[in-house]
Amino acid sequence: MDLLLDILSTMVAQFQKPTLAFLIGGMMLAAMGSKFEVPEPVYKFIVILLLLKVGIGAGISVREADFVELVIPAIGAAIVGVVIVLIGMRTLARWRGVSPMDGMATAGLFGAVSASTLAAGMAMLDGEGIAYEGFIGALYPFMDIAALVTAIVLARLSAKRKTATAPTPSGDGTMTLGGTVAGPVPDPSEHWDLVRGILVDTLRSPAISALLLGLALGIFARPDPVYESFYEPLFRGLLSILMLIMGMEAWSRLSELRKVAHAYILYGLAAPLVHGALGFLVGLGVHHITGFSAGGVVLLAVMAASSSDISGPPTLRGALPKANPSAYVGTSTGLGTPVAILSIPLFMALADALIGF
Amino acid sequence: MYKATKLVIITERVILEGVTDLIEAGGATGWTHVDAGGRGSRGKRSARRPGVGGMMGNVKIEVIVSDHEKAEAIMTSVADQYFGNYSGITYIEPVEILRPYKFAV
Repeated sequence: MDLLLDILSTMVAQFQKPTLAFLIGGMMLAAMGSKFEVPEPVYKFIVILLLLKVGIGAGISVREADFVELVIPAIGAAIVGVVIVLIGMRTLARWRGVSPMDGMATAGLFGAVSASTLAAGMAMLDGEGIAYEGFIGALYPFMDIAALVTAIVLARLSAKRKTATAPTPSGDGTMTLGGTVAGPVPDPSEHWDLVRGILVDTLRSPAISALLLGLALGIFARPDPVYESFYEPLFRGLLSILMLIMGMEAWSRLSELRKVAHAYILYGLAAPLVHGALGFLVGLGVHHITGFSAGGVVLLAVMAASSSDISGPPTLRGALPKANPSAYVGTSTGLGTPVAILSIPLFMALADALIGF
Repeated sequence: MYKATKLVIITERVILEGVTDLIEAGGATGWTHVDAGGRGSRGKRSARRPGVGGMMGNVKIEVIVSDHEKAEAIMTSVADQYFGNYSGITYIEPVEILRPYKFAV
């Protein structure tokens, strides 16, 4: 009972803090049909800044981090990304009324990571003075890429199995990203081409490239002065505007969900919590192996709960053209992201109760 | 003034690169694109609202080619490759140009 009360009071307190309050404020603005809007260049600038901040911050910490302490959470993050997609494949993609292709794209998006949600988690931990590993941002690409690659490859393979008529492998069919999927049974080199195409596409996507640049700068250069004087102080203020935008965006995407199956609504509401719990469990495991901090466990759970909002959707649109973007973008931006952000206090309370800050 | 053909393609921003590749393969000497928004059979799309990585945005691509056949061939190849899965419309307009050598291969 005490545990429940604790969790409840943490959540109520967090709803009044800037991060969540601005998110809810944005939703209210959109709900009332306000004409308020933040221009797209401003939104892009904020996202770039957050990604560079997360990247540089992680890079600076990687310099001093122990190799094992870094590798084990990274493996954990990649495993979480893959498992989330597999869960989606067994549940959402098999639902009646959900096309397997749409289901897989949605699962891929939910497995991938949202930088803004991660940044929101960091700001909330900072606000409470809770410590976490500085390198946590470096885990982002591991989960993100693992989930996107798994989802796209599995979706393409199952589409192929359906269209393939010849039972014996025959063929020199070549496959290009964004091309047609129908063809003969795939051979291994074709799989590799597909995976390489997705990897290149993901690495070149705006979010991952900005993050990797930040990481590289943090590791190989000495950006500490500009990090401390510019990125770090601006971070929280800009995040509040980003939360406002995300709240408005979430509300306006909800209307798209009216056109898709109800299974998406259930998935959008439940998946962030299930995935977050999975991330939390893996984080707990890492905590016992390497002494991963409670704050780190929370952020791993937040990454798992989040769904990609910047680089995931265009990657999926390019790689799985047959999947309906209204379904996966609506589910993730309209439901997944707000549920994930609103559940951050829940993971904080859980970590406090199970590990202790 | 000289007669030429303008081909217009309005489609999703995510496939801009693929479409312009087809335009160049079709023998056009250049193209222009601008961000676009509007409403069509696949719903409303905004050019301005911050979206998911600009993905839900559209582009309008204009190509001027010397003759009608070339424009039609490009149009057909784009429609065949993309319009089954992506939203898009395409049309041809006659135009008058000043310098025909700009559009000759």
